[in-house]
Amino acid sequence: MDPRQKELLKRFGSNVTLEEKEGCVYLSGEVSSWEDAVSAGQLCAKSGSKTHVVNDIRVSGLEMKETKIPRFTDDAIDGKRPDVLIIGAGVVGCAIARELSKWKLDVLLVEKEYDVALHASSRNDGMVHPGIDIHPGLVKKKLNNRGNRMYTRICSELNVPFDRCGQFLCFDRKNILPILYMTLPYWLLTGVGATRVHTYDSLRKKEPDVSPEVKCALEFKRAGIVCPYGLTIAYAENAVQNGVKLSLDTAVLKMKLVDGRIKAVKTNRGTVFPKLVINAAGVFAEDIAEMAGDRFFSIHPRKGTNSILDRKARRFVNTTYSLMGTQSKDEHTKGGGVVGTVDGNVLVGPDAIETPDKENFDTDAKSIKNTFLRHSQVAPWLKSGDIITYFTGVRAPTYEEDFIVEPGRRTKNLLHAAGIQSPGLTAAPAIGEKIAKLAIKKLKKTGRVEKNAAFDPVRVPILRPSEMSKAERAALIEREPDYGEIVCRCEEVSRGEIIAALHRPVPCATVDGVKRRVRPGMGRCQGGFCGPLVLKLISQNLDIPEEKVRKGTQDSELLFGPKGAAL
Amino acid sequence: MRTFDVTVIGGGPAGLAAAISAEKEGARVLLIEREARLGGVLKQCIHDGFGVIRFGEKLSGCEYGARFIKELEKTSVEVSCLTFASKIEKTEEGFLLTLIKRSGLEEISTKTIVLATGCRERTAKQVSIHGSRPAGVFTAGTAQYYLNVMGQMPGKRCVILGSGDIGLIMARRLTLEGAEVLGVYEAKPTPSGLMRNIYQCLNDFEIPLHLSHTVTRVHGDGRVCGVTTAKVDEKMQPIAGTEEYIECDTLILSVGLIPENELAEMLGVKLDPSTKGALCDQLYMTMTDGVFSCGNALHVNDLADYVSESGDEAGKNAARYAAHKRELAEVHFDRNFLYVVPQRIDLTDKSKPAVFFFRSSEERKKTRVRLLLNGTEILKKTYQNLRPPEMERLSVDLSALPLEASSKLEFVMEELPS
Amino acid sequence: MKKDLICISCPNGCRLSAELLPDGAVTVTGNACPRGEAFAQTELTHPMRSLTTTVRTAFPEMPVLPVRTKGEIPKEMIWTVMGSLSAFVLDKKVRCGDVVIDDVAGTGCSIIATLDL
Repeated sequence: MDPRQKELLKRFGSNVTLEEKEGCVYLSGEVSSWEDAVSAGQLCAKSGSKTHVVNDIRVSGLEMKETKIPRFTDDAIDGKRPDVLIIGAGVVGCAIARELSKWKLDVLLVEKEYDVALHASSRNDGMVHPGIDIHPGLVKKKLNNRGNRMYTRICSELNVPFDRCGQFLCFDRKNILPILYMTLPYWLLTGVGATRVHTYDSLRKKEPDVSPEVKCALEFKRAGIVCPYGLTIAYAENAVQNGVKLSLDTAVLKMKLVDGRIKAVKTNRGTVFPKLVINAAGVFAEDIAEMAGDRFFSIHPRKGTNSILDRKARRFVNTTYSLMGTQSKDEHTKGGGVVGTVDGNVLVGPDAIETPDKENFDTDAKSIKNTFLRHSQVAPWLKSGDIITYFTGVRAPTYEEDFIVEPGRRTKNLLHAAGIQSPGLTAAPAIGEKIAKLAIKKLKKTGRVEKNAAFDPVRVPILRPSEMSKAERAALIEREPDYGEIVCRCEEVSRGEIIAALHRPVPCATVDGVKRRVRPGMGRCQGGFCGPLVLKLISQNLDIPEEKVRKGTQDSELLFGPKGAAL
Repeated sequence: MRTFDVTVIGGGPAGLAAAISAEKEGARVLLIEREARLGGVLKQCIHDGFGVIRFGEKLSGCEYGARFIKELEKTSVEVSCLTFASKIEKTEEGFLLTLIKRSGLEEISTKTIVLATGCRERTAKQVSIHGSRPAGVFTAGTAQYYLNVMGQMPGKRCVILGSGDIGLIMARRLTLEGAEVLGVYEAKPTPSGLMRNIYQCLNDFEIPLHLSHTVTRVHGDGRVCGVTTAKVDEKMQPIAGTEEYIECDTLILSVGLIPENELAEMLGVKLDPSTKGALCDQLYMTMTDGVFSCGNALHVNDLADYVSESGDEAGKNAARYAAHKRELAEVHFDRNFLYVVPQRIDLTDKSKPAVFFFRSSEERKKTRVRLLLNGTEILKKTYQNLRPPEMERLSVDLSALPLEASSKLEFVMEELPS
Repeated sequence: MKKDLICISCPNGCRLSAELLPDGAVTVTGNACPRGEAFAQTELTHPMRSLTTTVRTAFPEMPVLPVRTKGEIPKEMIWTVMGSLSAFVLDKKVRCGDVVIDDVAGTGCSIIATLDL
């Protein structure tokens, strides 16, 4: 008997069966909890294997949540015949789109949400990893190393703040110091790049506020921080500026296959007929693969919660740091610790909890408490009173815990960028590059593909007067007085910036959309003062009645209409 | 560069009073307001109850503000609305302020600063409410702005968490406009707002008040569809098994106010952890020479009348300010007090009585408050009731007191048998 | 029968214990000043309230205007007055203190503006 089947039998009785065929391990049956279903999958998976677990085990009594999709239908993209259809406008989908916009192609990027970067791409800690804890044999190792090296250029082209601040992995035992020195060649060899061993004193010069319990540390100099949704939006804007068509509120519902090729893709906004389809659907990558007749892996959603601390706490963190052994228990979850963000806050987290619900962004007091407890070992200054808000993201791992960046196995005109979890943000530029290369190769088989001579790599950012010199700022306000009217006082955001955010290549008409672009409401009052003002600016500038202005997603209108008339 | 004797930051009730009183002293005064119109939060306070102490009549917040604005118009105070103080730096002569306004970026020099920056509301995340993040979770002040300034309904079926005054006022206001207020939930065993607001805002409209109850979770994708409430124990932790799901479209929070002191911190002004405002002496000067603080930026007041009073004093003293070495005596108080303001007495100026404001740490029946100087009683007052939401005021004549920097000045509080 | 009231005349919020005697007189304890006595008297016989609200305007720059009753109205008239205001739209500029509606809903009380429009 297959040893895995034996183990399954031991753990779950005859309820779970395993069948290996066509390069996949198929699991079926029924168990009593979601944790069991996941651990059955994990039991049968081999890290990094190309033979993936496809987990069809049901959980008795558990009703799987339906994917949230736009309720409306129209024909906005009906009948279109793009060369490439990209499904999912997270950082990976947008990076792919931007790479493909370097070519003379008709690229359509669809996203089921009202904005780009709404799932994992806006719900992570923004770390650009050096890749310290990834096994060198994995796909994600190569992509992480390449992606990390691309960041400086990408962020300068896209005009996104990026700080290669470094990362400290701290140790509370002094006698480990000699071993740390011995690891140095390994870091060089595995592409982690410049690494330094810090003694007690030299660490304090860089990070004076780490716990006195920390005795020594490794500094990984290639680590950096970026605003993850800022980068995604910038990728999308630059892609659109170079000819990519972006269709938001567009959910893929069904695909029609003929002879192992996707012929038609049905969405709520019409049916399209792409030559090539790219699956960059995050937690839904498995669902898209299924529609495309190419489901050879499973995604098991794993949520993580981060707290955002007030700017006041930023003085305790110059870079990012964590204590060895206190990072997220799950070995597949990178990073964690305390992270100083590019926007001047501090993030604490994340944890890792398996969940059946791919869109479960709920937060829990327990998660916050646990991560605080865990990281206060390295950061004794952590105060729950400094929390201004918190958020949950859902990672999209396969059971093999590696990325799938490859052509479809059964379906010919399909490419997958699936199983992308941490370090997906770091790897995104490299995934974009690799998928684009595969796409061009495929498209060249059926016709000529030319470079887009008009491609402009530079994205012009929204002006940020509070970061300008006095003279620059004065000159700007003189030209455009709207930049001299502060709407959000916590983050010092002007009316001019908010209006600019409403008129960018990627449409934005929601309070949260404006918040992600120019930060009103990100500060300590959480939009208490500026929320109504932002709502009014959206209403006036985009000609939407006040009661139709949404916080974010569908049905999130903030107001019920003029008093008297409304009730 | 323009120069001023006094620059008042914030055009609400504290700042208006401060600017007027500083100008009366003959100072050259600049008043900076971030919004387009003066008045601060008074603009959205359409309810009455303002001015009983100061004017002897019951005015609405708007009317109360208008009285000061009218008086201000008669003065030579330079008013700059839609102006944001972006930066403050200490200089030889005083302070250098960087102002951002539609007409440009301006640097001004000022001898003294009066911080009248008010307060902000504590948010859902700061009281650890979890669940999803739908539209329809508002602080009471934001809901008040939507309804009273924009004329828009922020909710139809509302649950209110916290029994702070704005929450109570909004319970009545939303009810009057046709919304349904399902209940006010307060984690503490006693209400956080003024008793008269419990009476006229809740009782009059039969809105239930659930003490020792809190909201633990928000539900909903787009819009709030419900909240989970629970009973809490003495440590204000939810008790398992007492959860109740309440269907509603709006959660309004009135869970406390926090003095705004970001500018103060920029100047390194020392803050008092119990008030979250600046530490100050009886002349309203902070521990940073030349920087004064008043109103809700100093400590959260229960009445606008007291806010104005502190503005009067801070403005006047800022105008009279001449650099001198202060001699500070510390004001001590026992643990029955939540806080006492001012926290210091400047012994170089004992000409005027010192006005103390305090709050009791918990609700008490008949209670005596005494002020001791080196153990000797110099003042006592008996109260029939003391409640944390209600601020008490005590005026103490300093002139005859043998007060020195080394003296122990201490407030003590003892509950009496009723 | 004794009734517990909270005096709303001033911010002190005195807790009153009041009793309406058969002869129509009212006895009050707990009040710190004579206003408490007067309040209890009316509260037990014919409770009165001042009403503050807003009226809609025809001016988009200020879609609603804060108003109040000039003086107090019988408590039970609050909903009648709110009802008569709900259909009202102010189409002329007024100043703080100006009468917006005279003798609202037959209460004999006028509605006045509490802010300049």
